[in-house]
Amino acid sequence: MMERTERVEQVERDEQDTIIATRNLSRTYTMGKMQMTALNRVTLDVRRGEFAAIMGKSGSGKSTLLHQLGLLDTPTEGEIVIDEVEISGLSESEKTIFRLEKFGYVFQEYAILPEMTALENVYLPAMALGLSREEYVTKGMDALEKVGLAERADHRPREMSGGEQQRVAIARALINKPKILFADEPTANLDSASSRQILELFRALNRDIGQTILMVTHELEDADIVDRVIWLADGEVVDREG
Amino acid sequence: MTSTTTELKVSAFLAYKFIAKGNRGTTLLTILIMALAFVNLMFTTSVFDGMGDATENQVIDTLYSNIVIEPKDEEIYINNPDSVVKKIINVPGVIGTSAQYVTGATIAYKEKSGAWNIRAVDPDDERMVSLVPDMMIEGEYLSKYDRREIIIGKEIAGGHGGSLEHTSLGGVVVGDTVEVAFTNGVRREYRVKGIFDTNFFQSNHLAYITKKEMESVLGIHDMASQILVKTDTKGDEGRFLNQFVELGVHEDIKPWPVYAGIVATLTKSFDALNALTGAIGFFVAGVTIFIVIYVSTVSKRRQMGILRAIGIKESIIVRSYIFQAVFYAVCGCIAGLVIMFAILVPHFIKHPMVFPMGNVTLLIEQKAAITRSAGLIISAAIAGFLPSWRAVRETILDAIWGD
Ligand SMILES: Nc1ncnc2c1ncn2[C@@H]1O[C@H](COP(=O)(O)OP(=O)(O)OP(=O)(O)O)[C@@H](O)[C@H]1O
Ligand SMILES: [Mg+2]
Repeated sequence: MMERTERVEQVERDEQDTIIATRNLSRTYTMGKMQMTALNRVTLDVRRGEFAAIMGKSGSGKSTLLHQLGLLDTPTEGEIVIDEVEISGLSESEKTIFRLEKFGYVFQEYAILPEMTALENVYLPAMALGLSREEYVTKGMDALEKVGLAERADHRPREMSGGEQQRVAIARALINKPKILFADEPTANLDSASSRQILELFRALNRDIGQTILMVTHELEDADIVDRVIWLADGEVVDREG
Repeated sequence: MTSTTTELKVSAFLAYKFIAKGNRGTTLLTILIMALAFVNLMFTTSVFDGMGDATENQVIDTLYSNIVIEPKDEEIYINNPDSVVKKIINVPGVIGTSAQYVTGATIAYKEKSGAWNIRAVDPDDERMVSLVPDMMIEGEYLSKYDRREIIIGKEIAGGHGGSLEHTSLGGVVVGDTVEVAFTNGVRREYRVKGIFDTNFFQSNHLAYITKKEMESVLGIHDMASQILVKTDTKGDEGRFLNQFVELGVHEDIKPWPVYAGIVATLTKSFDALNALTGAIGFFVAGVTIFIVIYVSTVSKRRQMGILRAIGIKESIIVRSYIFQAVFYAVCGCIAGLVIMFAILVPHFIKHPMVFPMGNVTLLIEQKAAITRSAGLIISAAIAGFLPSWRAVRETILDAIWGD
C-alpha cells in the first residue's frame, strides 16, 4: 500500500522531469557523392524513469538514434540535452566520462570480455570510476545478484550461455547506477525464454529502482511491456507504424 | 583515489587479464622472440667485451703486468731497482715485482733474420708477474744462472702457425743456435732453450734472456729498463700510484692501460660495430613487438570499441597495451639472460673462440646488460604505444561494427 503510493508520487514527479531532449536531430552519412539521411530532424523527449522502446522497420534509423542519444556518435545537425547538459558542448573525453558515470549499455552481441570473469567484467566500470576494491566488488556482486547470476561470479564468459552473458552485460551496465540504460536489440540473439527473462529484468529494474531505459527492439510484442514506443520510419519519428 | 592512480590501476588490470587469461601460446612465443632479440643484442656485445677482456688480460698476464715503473724522463735506466722494489713490495695488494732490461736486437737463424725486443729477466721474479713461464710449447723456461740461452715467442720461431709466419725465423726448434746482434754492437750466439706461445700476437714477438747475461752484454749493473708490478686485482691500479709516490718512488709509474694502446684501438672499433648491431637489434625487437601488439589490437578491435563505449578512457586502453609490451620485454630480457648464462656462456667456456688476442669467451658486462634491457624495454613501450594509439583513433562505432 505504502509502496504503491510512493510509486505514484514518483511517476507524477517524473512527468515534468525530462532526462533526454532532442531538437531537430539529424544524422547524414556521406558515401562518396551519395548522401544518406539516417535520421531526419528528430525531436523527442524521454522522461526520467521511463521505459521506452524504439521500434520501426529495418533501416528506419533505430540504432542510429540510439547511438546519437548514447553519445557513441556525433549528429550532423540538431541538439541533444541529457540530464540538463547540452551535449554538443562536450569534448570527446568529457563524453567518455559522461558515458562512464551516467550511461549503461547493452548491445545485441554479448559484449563482455572473454579474458575476465563475470564479476570482473561487471566491476570494471566501477573500478574505472575510482572506487576501492571493497566497494567495486560489493557493487559488482549486488549487480550480479540483480540479474540472478551471483553464483556465477567467477565464471568466464565461455562457460556461460548467451542469455547469461547478456545478463552479465546488463549487470555491468547497471553497476555505476546509470541515469539511462541503453539497449540495442538486447534479445535478438536469444531464444524466447531467455528473451523473456531479459525483458522481465528490464521491467523489474524500471519498476523497482525507476531505471530509465531506452531499448531498440523489432519484436512487436515487446510494445506491450514498455511504457511507451517511439516509432521510426525513414529516419523520422512517426505516430504509429503503418 | 586520484584519477591517475585509478587509470594506472585499470590499465594494469586490463594488461594483466589480457596476458594471464589470453592465449598462452601467443604469450610464450612473444616472450621467446623477445628473449632471442635480447640475446641477439647481447651476443655481439658480449663477444666484443670478451675480446676486450681477453686482450686486457693478455696485456697484463704476458706483457706488462698491472703496473710498470719506468725511468724518469731523459734517463735510460732505473738506478738500483732493488731499492725501488724494497719500497713497494710490502704494500698490501702488491704480489710481485720483476725488474728487467729491454733492448732491441736483431736475431738471425740461417739466412733469415728480424728485429725484435729482448727482455732480460730474473726468472724467479718473472714468475711472480707473468704467465709466459707457464706457456712453453717446446723446451723450458730460463733458470737464474743460464747464460747463452734464449727463449723466444712462436712468432719469432716460426713453424708453429703464427699469424706473421713470413717475418719469422722460419722454423727454429729447441737446441738450435741463433745469432743475436744487440743495438750496442755486441753479437752473441744463443742456444734456443724454449719456445712459448701466449696466444697473443704481441707477446709472442718477444724473446727472453737472463738479467746476468744482459748485464754482461751491456756492461752495466744494478739497473733496469722497467719494473713490472703485479697486484691482486685488475682495474683499480690507480689506487697504488699515489701510495708508491708517497713511499718515495720517483720514477714514472704507469698502470697497464697506458700500454694497452691496442686495447683502446680494438675497443674503439668494437664500439662503432656494437652501436650499429645494437641499433639494428633494437629496431628488430621493436618491430617484432609492434607486430605482436598490432595483431593483438586488430583482434581486439571490437573489444576496445566496447571498452570505450562503456566509458573506459582511451589513455587507459593505450597504456594497457604499453604495459603488455613492457611485460613481454621484461620477461624477454630475463629469459634472454637465462639463455645467456645457462647455455651460451658455458658453451663458449667449453669451446672458446680463437682470436689473435687469445681464447675469447662471452663476457656479460652488467652495464651492457642494463643498457640493452632498458633499450629493449623502451623500444617495446613505443612499439606497444603506436598500434594501440592508432586503434583508438577510429570511431567507436567503426571499432565495434565496422569492417
Ligand atoms: N556507417 C554507415 N554508413 C552509411 N550508412 C549507414 C551507416 N550506418 C547506418 N547507415 C544507414 O542508415 C540507415 C539507418 O541505419 P540503422 O542502423 O540506424 O537502422 P536500424 O533501424 O537500426 O536497422 P536494423 O533494424 O536493421 O538494425 C540505414 O539505411 C543504414 O544503411
Ligand atoms: Mg539496428
